[in-house]
Amino acid sequence: MSDERTQRLPTLEKEPRTSTGSGGGDLEQATSAAGYGPGGGSGGGSGEGGRAGRFWSVRRLPAGIVALLVVAAAGLLLYDLVVVRTGGSAMAWRRRFAHELASTPVNDPKVLAAACVVSLLGVWLIALALSPGRRGLLPMRREFAGVRAGLERTAAALVLRDRAMQVSGVQSVRVAVGRRKVRARAQAHFRDLHDVRGDLDSALGDGIRQLGLARQPGLSVHVQRPKKR
Amino acid sequence: MDRALRYVNRILLAVAGVLLLALGLAVLAGGFDLARRMGFDFPVGWPWARPEDVLLSAADRTRWRTESWWWPAVLGGLALLVILLLWWLLVQLRRRRLGEVLVKTGDGEGALLRGRALSKVLEAEAESLPGVGKAAVRLAGRRTEPRAALELLLEPHAEPGPVVGRVAGEALENARTSASLEELPAEVRLRAVRHRPERVL
Repeated sequence: MSDERTQRLPTLEKEPRTSTGSGGGDLEQATSAAGYGPGGGSGGGSGEGGRAGRFWSVRRLPAGIVALLVVAAAGLLLYDLVVVRTGGSAMAWRRRFAHELASTPVNDPKVLAAACVVSLLGVWLIALALSPGRRGLLPMRREFAGVRAGLERTAAALVLRDRAMQVSGVQSVRVAVGRRKVRARAQAHFRDLHDVRGDLDSALGDGIRQLGLARQPGLSVHVQRPKKR
Repeated sequence: MDRALRYVNRILLAVAGVLLLALGLAVLAGGFDLARRMGFDFPVGWPWARPEDVLLSAADRTRWRTESWWWPAVLGGLALLVILLLWWLLVQLRRRRLGEVLVKTGDGEGALLRGRALSKVLEAEAESLPGVGKAAVRLAGRRTEPRAALELLLEPHAEPGPVVGRVAGEALENARTSASLEELPAEVRLRAVRHRPERVL
């Protein structure tokens, strides 16, 4: 361990490092945020099969929840109205509710808080209606007419992790695939950290290209020595 | 796949959202006395023009009670709402499957292929391809224009791009030609089984 530390001192002239945000611990880690900017690269999302757009969720769950809540409220109100119309008496909660509605002014803190919640709920439902959803599914290039393919981010992370494990010197690696960026944090127990980082850069870069995604995510690689026990 | 339901869900969610947002903002505007502070007037008959206005006064609630159309309108409207919402709720729970696919034989005759059979064949062929561990296929659409939704479980060390290429070029293409379909649009979703990292030295 200690001889690696001394041996690594003259490696400053290696490729320029971009910001690490890791303070002065540079002797024990190497980082790159290099690679291809998001959205760049060849293809640009279109292959022979047409544009590869996002996958749009059907929004079954939110729709089901909204339908269930509203149908329960409307059904209960309808039932109680029919009971009253046919000569029964109204349920106690409805009397109390009508009384509260008729006695609380709109500047009551409870009313204002409820109005805030209702407004935010409305914004959230609108966002659900307009946004694609399915954030875990990365669209792939369309190379066959009529075939749309998507790769789960967890699957992409596993594929890239397996690739990273084949770089010599890598003892363990965690790969997190975001929607725009792939972050790899590796621990190297031998070899020069910058060499390992360079190899990881190219291995993961190739790996990302071979995932066949419509939009190449960026790559950041972080290599450090395993923690001493 | 369920394109119609997707549109219906999103439109109704947007409508519900707009209604809630409008209600919330209207109450907030009244509660914080925005009209006086910002120097504008609410339209005549606005329910929450002043902070002291109540949410729903008894007079407002019973205003049309004596009209002959009020109760039929309220009860009928609520009943219609409940029926439509029940339908909306039930379609969320149901997943459409295509029962059968029409195979044109070219001489004016046709044959019916069970959708389940076609999807089983597709699954088996996809699973036989390298890199695919397990496949689940669902057919939707119309029997003259079926669509396929494939869910593939990648094996460890499989390459996603080539796997999709093989599935599209072999399994889907074979299914399309054997059912003599002009096209078989498909949606392919790739997942992976979690497995332990392997040391390669």
